[in-house]
Amino acid sequence: MNRYECFESLAPLIKDQLVVGSLSGQRVEWGSMSQHEGNLLVAAMGAALGVGIGLSLVLPKRKVIALESDGSLLLSLYNLPTLGNLNPPNLAVFVFDNEVYSGTRISEPSATAGKTDLAGVARSCGIEHATTVRDLESFKREAAKALEENVLRFVVCKVDQTTGHRQIQRPNEDLWEHKYRFVRYLERTEGKEIFKGRG
Amino acid sequence: MKPELAARMVGGLKEAGISFVSYLPETRLSQILPLMREDPSFMVVPVANESEAVSIAAGASLGGRPAAVYMEGSGVYVGSYNLLVLGKRLGTPMLLLVAYYGSILDKRNTFLYAFPGIHLIPILESLDIQYEVFKDDDSLEDKIKGAVKMMHAIKQPVALLFTGAFTE
Repeated sequence: MNRYECFESLAPLIKDQLVVGSLSGQRVEWGSMSQHEGNLLVAAMGAALGVGIGLSLVLPKRKVIALESDGSLLLSLYNLPTLGNLNPPNLAVFVFDNEVYSGTRISEPSATAGKTDLAGVARSCGIEHATTVRDLESFKREAAKALEENVLRFVVCKVDQTTGHRQIQRPNEDLWEHKYRFVRYLERTEGKEIFKGRG
Repeated sequence: MKPELAARMVGGLKEAGISFVSYLPETRLSQILPLMREDPSFMVVPVANESEAVSIAAGASLGGRPAAVYMEGSGVYVGSYNLLVLGKRLGTPMLLLVAYYGSILDKRNTFLYAFPGIHLIPILESLDIQYEVFKDDDSLEDKIKGAVKMMHAIKQPVALLFTGAFTE
């Protein structure tokens, strides 16, 4: 199973959900595949899950999906005890775990290539529905449940290390433009003003 | 801090429109916590790490609830990465409520706090985060309101540093 084919099966399921992404190849792959206005790709390791938690708390009627990676989550493990205690039912977390730090030139093993079991860490932090999937059919099944059910789900997706994202052209929409698109979409669909500064 | 001052601080935040607070507890300003928890207009979220507090506040802010992060001065160091990538680079409005420990007017200052306190403002300045130092209750509510207006205007974090009477 690789991340791209997981995204190919996840993208058609996205309707009005909000998708928060972190960094790594997943930002490039998801960004090239989905131009959904509800995407917020924060482009930083260790930040997407926290942003997703914040969104899920203040928009309880909206399903929020956080796309994380093993390296990004390992950088922000402090999120898991908080997530377990808050238990937002409208949040689904997918961690694409390829067991490496994979940049444009590097492939160095992450802790999950060793003894670390992220779903186990999540369960020990009180996240009841934390599981690991290793094949595409299992991913599709967990993704469908995560999007349909009103319960916090945390799905670690063991994926192959791939380099396909290195061949995808990077976006020319900068982060402020990306953020404005997301916020204006939310303002329109939630019927409320979010950015309050007026000229 | 005297209970009246804590009440004015919380009242000022409410009046300025703050409705979400993520926090890691600390000593100096802690009287504000029960007041905020008792007021249903605030959503108050405890966290394990100030960097997390910043990321959760960023999500709340972009989701439509004007957000603050309450922390000790050391939290600015811990949270600086997310302040940079979410606060500055992405451009997310949030108010930082910082117990300015280790400052000259910190009534609990010791050798434990002085060095982190000395470097706090240089850290904020290196991040180009606007800040205001509060030593007493002079124009407290107006300053809070002005800071919130500033964070909405620039869509970035603005920091309020509390020392002096706030650290009693």
